[in-house]
Amino acid sequence: METTIDPKVIQQAAERLRGAATSGKPVAPVRDLISAGGVDAAYAVQEVNTRHYLGNGRRLVGRKIGLTSLAVQRQLGVDQPDYGMLFADMDVPEGIPISLNQVIQPKVEAEIAIVIGRDLPHPDLTTAEMIRAVEYVVPAIEIVDSRVANWDIRIWDTVADNASSGLFVLGAVPRKLDGLDLRECGMVMEIKGEPISVGAGIACLGSPITASLWLARVMARVGRPLLEGDVILSGALGPMAGVNRGDVVEARINGVGTVRAEFAADGN
Amino acid sequence: MDKLARYAETLDRAALDARATPQLTHGDPDLSVADAYLIQKLSVDRRLARGERRIGVKMGLTSRAKMLQVGVDEVAWGRLTDAMLIEEGAAMSRARFVHPRVEPEVAFLMKAPLSGRVTAAQALAAVEAIAPAMEIIDSRYENFKFTLTDVIADNTSSSGLVIGQWNDPATDCSNLGVILEINGQVTQIGSTAAILGHPLRSLVAAARLVAEAGEEITAGDIVMAGGITAAPNLAPGQTVRTTIQGLGSVMFRVEV
Repeated sequence: METTIDPKVIQQAAERLRGAATSGKPVAPVRDLISAGGVDAAYAVQEVNTRHYLGNGRRLVGRKIGLTSLAVQRQLGVDQPDYGMLFADMDVPEGIPISLNQVIQPKVEAEIAIVIGRDLPHPDLTTAEMIRAVEYVVPAIEIVDSRVANWDIRIWDTVADNASSGLFVLGAVPRKLDGLDLRECGMVMEIKGEPISVGAGIACLGSPITASLWLARVMARVGRPLLEGDVILSGALGPMAGVNRGDVVEARINGVGTVRAEFAADGN
Repeated sequence: MDKLARYAETLDRAALDARATPQLTHGDPDLSVADAYLIQKLSVDRRLARGERRIGVKMGLTSRAKMLQVGVDEVAWGRLTDAMLIEEGAAMSRARFVHPRVEPEVAFLMKAPLSGRVTAAQALAAVEAIAPAMEIIDSRYENFKFTLTDVIADNTSSSGLVIGQWNDPATDCSNLGVILEINGQVTQIGSTAAILGHPLRSLVAAARLVAEAGEEITAGDIVMAGGITAAPNLAPGQTVRTTIQGLGSVMFRVEV
């Protein structure tokens, strides 16, 4: 990413966020360092950490799309979504309890995950090409997290912080896209059996396909194109919710399926 | 005139004149929920005495969004009359209301009576059809502010309804996507799961609550299951449409 901010400052912001991820102790926002450079500077911070993690052997397995709801975009004063990297170690198999020690200040969102069946190198990818590239969809619970204390984030902070990504749980029953209505499908997310968040596919930028198309084009443009087998967490279908020790979170997406995330009751 | 009848007249007048009235609980803070349901009945009886016909019941405060908006956590019910019907695709007059808002809903058409404690299966067996719908809610109180007691007395803010196409009740209605558009802009998004987790639960609750009042849901009744999203304000010039996944859409226009 081209940015007007001194590379040393970009490095400093990246190290601050990485330090929080390592220690589990949240840090001050980084916007004071980078906001003059705009969102490009924030992506430059994210990229520094992506390179660092890849160099340390973490494996890139997909992307998440954030800020796909118009309400959230307005809240952050932006007019487009953002993206972050998904690494293999962020995947939590369904049924395995999630320890709160793995995260700092987790929240959960219900999403549709799209698994790509072919490489998408074209920055001018079309809707038809995007649809053809969908190998299957599964329901997902994204455990979003922030390395920034008290979620005190503006757009620069969340972009720099890998789009506030944390962990994710994918449902285990893949569905073909054929005949699925990803726009009108209803979503309900329950925590301990209580409906906490409801929504529909349209909340995700009009459709998870539209959101994925945006992502695929951007990723091709910035030189990190989506590849066969990559997972796209396409964006929340309803409001996010906080979680606590012992919570069981279940998301049901009509036609797409059901997925559960369980949080360990003890401190481990 | 008895106090409750006087309150009923006040609320009925407020609706007729489309003019807000102070909350009953401001002058009478000890009013009970039981009193409020009596006031509601007396107020709707005045409508029936003028020739309006009872067509069913509505459930209120059934969604989390609604409960947050109103600040309560209890389900309530109200009475529907034919004068509240707005023709699907037609226009409603803004001037007839105090400060109307709209919310997407699911409507049940009953083919058999339903009363007292029933199971979800019994409730479903009494349903003839299910439709996408919208309710116009219009508190007769100033600034749309009320306590639970106030809103029950005010027929749970009910003032209009519009019903779309009827569908097979075997449709699984537990988690259908809901989209409310105003002038083509997506304004609210939700799921029918917002209605107590499943709209049939609202029908079960309706059977129980209506029976507690000594009445019953009868064949031919419409039961509005409850709001699904927050309720945006209505203004002249708007075209309002609700689409429910698999059930189709329903619309009306707002005129001066």
